[in-house]
Amino acid sequence: MLISYEWLKSLVPLGVNVEEFALRMMMAGFNHESTAAVGDDFCVDLEITSNRPDCLGHIGLAREAAVVFGSQLKLPAAAPKSGAAKVGDITKLRVDCPELCPRYVARVIRGVKVGPSPAWLVRRLTTIGQPTVNNVVDITNYVLMETGQPLHAFDLAKLHGRQIVVREAKPGEKFDAINHKTYTLDAGMCVIADADRPVAVGGVMGGVDSEVSQATTELLIESAAFDPLSIRTTSRKLGLRSDSSYRFERGVDIENADWVSRRCCELILEVCGGELAEGALDVAASRSPREAVTLRSSQIKRIVGIEVPMPEVRRILGSLGLKENAVADDRITVNPPSWRRDLEREIDLIEEVARIHGYDKIPEDVGVPMARSARTDEDRVLAKVRQVLTACGFDEALTISVVDEGLSQSFSPWTDAAPLALQMPILERADKLRRSLVPSLLKARRENEAVGNRTIELFETAKVYLPQTGELPQEDLMLGLTSGGGDGAFYRVKGVLEALLAALAPAARFEVRDLTKKHDLLAIGRACELALDGEVVGVLGEVGAAALKKFELREPAIVAELKLAALLKAAVLVPRYAPTPAYPAMERDINLVVDEKVRWSDLAATVRACGGALVESFDLKGQPYRDEKRIGPGKKSLVVTLTLRSSERTLTNTEADDLRTRVVEECAKRHGATLRA
Amino acid sequence: MSLDAFIADLDALVADATSKFAAAADAAALEAARVEFLGAKSGKLKDAQKGLGAVGKDDKPAAGKKFNEVKQAIEAAFAAAQDRSTSGEGVAATGPAFDPSQPGTRHRLGHLHPLTQTIEELKDIMGRLGFTVAHGPEIEDERHNFEALNIPKAHPARDPLENFYLAVAGKVHGASVQGSGLNANPEPRTPNPELLLRSQTSTVQIRVMEAQQPPVRIISLGRVYRPDDADATHYPMFHQIEGLLIDKHVTMADLKSTLRLFAGSYFGGEVHIRFRPSFFPFTEPSVEVDMQWNDRWIEMGGAGMVDPNVLRAVGYDPEQVSGFAFGLGVERVCARRHQVTDIREFYRNDVRFLEQF
Repeated sequence: MLISYEWLKSLVPLGVNVEEFALRMMMAGFNHESTAAVGDDFCVDLEITSNRPDCLGHIGLAREAAVVFGSQLKLPAAAPKSGAAKVGDITKLRVDCPELCPRYVARVIRGVKVGPSPAWLVRRLTTIGQPTVNNVVDITNYVLMETGQPLHAFDLAKLHGRQIVVREAKPGEKFDAINHKTYTLDAGMCVIADADRPVAVGGVMGGVDSEVSQATTELLIESAAFDPLSIRTTSRKLGLRSDSSYRFERGVDIENADWVSRRCCELILEVCGGELAEGALDVAASRSPREAVTLRSSQIKRIVGIEVPMPEVRRILGSLGLKENAVADDRITVNPPSWRRDLEREIDLIEEVARIHGYDKIPEDVGVPMARSARTDEDRVLAKVRQVLTACGFDEALTISVVDEGLSQSFSPWTDAAPLALQMPILERADKLRRSLVPSLLKARRENEAVGNRTIELFETAKVYLPQTGELPQEDLMLGLTSGGGDGAFYRVKGVLEALLAALAPAARFEVRDLTKKHDLLAIGRACELALDGEVVGVLGEVGAAALKKFELREPAIVAELKLAALLKAAVLVPRYAPTPAYPAMERDINLVVDEKVRWSDLAATVRACGGALVESFDLKGQPYRDEKRIGPGKKSLVVTLTLRSSERTLTNTEADDLRTRVVEECAKRHGATLRA
Repeated sequence: MSLDAFIADLDALVADATSKFAAAADAAALEAARVEFLGAKSGKLKDAQKGLGAVGKDDKPAAGKKFNEVKQAIEAAFAAAQDRSTSGEGVAATGPAFDPSQPGTRHRLGHLHPLTQTIEELKDIMGRLGFTVAHGPEIEDERHNFEALNIPKAHPARDPLENFYLAVAGKVHGASVQGSGLNANPEPRTPNPELLLRSQTSTVQIRVMEAQQPPVRIISLGRVYRPDDADATHYPMFHQIEGLLIDKHVTMADLKSTLRLFAGSYFGGEVHIRFRPSFFPFTEPSVEVDMQWNDRWIEMGGAGMVDPNVLRAVGYDPEQVSGFAFGLGVERVCARRHQVTDIREFYRNDVRFLEQF
């Protein structure tokens, strides 16, 4: 809300400079946005929160300033002199839709002289950035900015049948607005019509046919209240927002409509001449009286934390315009003024008392009791995940949860159901809630490639959104990652995931499985599912050539996604001590030559089965070796390192060699493995 | 042999050995020198020991003492030469030279996103102040995002254009072309069409209060969504952190004091808190919170006392309990701390940006 400081001071005497004024008003709840000098005056921008439509005019803010600075509000008389002619003899008013228009006040002035506005009026409107049109229109704008109540002046001679009918618009009805555009109206919109056609969209915009021009001599002045929700819908549908619709949306003081009408007529008579017809046409829906509100003084201390003495409470409430209804030692019952629709409950009064008394009086050093606070398991697991991944050289990315159709369709490992969609996109074309983090990470990968970054190792922990029949969609926390491809890259990333598992759930069985579902994103035969204790919890693979092209990636890439809920379930957050081994371990290497089709997991199962308890661990040493001449076509040689240990004694060389021999024989029998010399 | 002659021979031997050891250019030369002087069978020291027998009987103790000193001196000279050899010192310039100034084999560490670092630090501070983290869904129903938060149907905050509502099942365009399996894709069924991406993390507070009796002392945090055009200070997705304390006798003084501890812990040093009246549907009184730091007032976020309607909506009795809530935007806190001038940087995920934190 832009105010003229000079104008404001004409309504309330203030002995402070504009900086002091702005600061004190800010501390009373009117956030100071800016102050600009305009001639001898200042234009001060104060933010009005949505609960205070009464302050969307100079009088409202002057009233607050009077309370803040202990001054007196000086209101204009709003007592125009009227002539002999009665308004009811000149025009007629009918309201067909009291739910859309709960009050309509019409007055008529005849014999006005439309022309330029006087200097004082132009100056005040200019200070607050309002354009000037002619004296009549300027006065309606002026009174709007003074009172917060929008007004409209019709050229009475242009109203067919010289009458006003307030009604709901007919669907498809056309309306020619003051901005020379034609709008198609809808049911639910409130129109101000004459005998034949709409002449204004109530509270939103006037019509071009009935606007006040140089030739106008007869005026019908409208001061009305409209339903806030209907105004909001209407102005949004029509794409018309105005100072008027802004105020009607927030609610005007319905009781004040007649006073404002008189104030407007008073100024028109003063500036434009003419004669006011006697009386007003005033149609109002019946309103139930507002209830009185009681404030218990104990509640101020209970909520605000400080005592406010009863005389101070009475002073504050009284100065804000609340009328005392009953007063006792420990409580006060008041009737809020009509302009304060926001004051309905005891808590509303507590806020008013505290706000004016001053929040600076609340101490900032009371002893808040201590309380226990435990880190959640989820936080512990996430901290570990971040620790391992950053240690492994991955940077953490944060990508937006909503993706476009192309990204959404590129990869969906967890569901075949169509993605949830928003009614409007969040950014550009992104309107699908993502079902995987991987496409977003690949997009980030491309953007990094585009700026010439070579090392692009990214991970993200975030939710995916899976449609489900039930109450809310399923939100699963995932770990997504992407790494550069190339030689050994798959095993490097797999090793990162293995390190993560070792850090969080060392005893859990982590294994790969063949894909059970085709993914267009992944390279055929170079991707797998990841299982934890027998349950599929992730996917890992190289990005296929077609997908690389689709994502416009120049370099090969690896992606993985892992359900963090599964990790959380398997995680051992408080490891239990196991005695360290008392006897030394022995190592034995076995260099086995097998067919290409034999997998490490096959050999591992055999080693595990036949090695028994003495095999503490076993691992693949180096990478498989292939050489057609030396070991034959279709063959690979694998060096398996066995670590052997007994918990009861030191193993002998003979025992170790025997066990090694048994493993070799078993691998020969089951997998056709031969020992490489 | 006279004692003097014996001693002179020994002194000559020490000098000879020391210079030969020092001159050895590599390990082989040093070994040859070792055999020459310290060899067990025919080393020069061994020969010298034989001369001990030829010394007169009276001179024997002095000769023995001298011999032992010489033996130790030669052995020490050898050990020193050996040390130099293994440490590379003194090795001839033609061999490979150890260069400690060469760059180390650097291991690349990853970096946590600055927003994560900020969230973790704020969480950590609130944890020390006795607030426990609570999580909730990002897709919410109207009850938790609005109604229970005292935002009635007619409130402008519920306007479809001010929120990211989910499309109703059947209106989801592109559904029929989704996926590659053999099965026709089932339409997502949304039993409650009035679902939306949460516009604030206060939704979590409602869920916690619905499930738990007071006292409640939590912080909720995470992603929230509002239809703002992306610019240097806005992004349609951002992160919020919100605190809630409900108990008997909780006042605005507790709120102010808690925020002072919180701000002082994060920024370090003595800070002061200022409340400016404001308006939020779910708190009353509502305030904007500023903190004074380095003689400037800096906006922190919004706060207030939980509105009695909110307490009632979760089944609490506002006559029995009261509470405060506060919230701040993580992006703003993080951007200010690290002097990030455009919050869109947070979501570009440029490695050159991420590496800075």
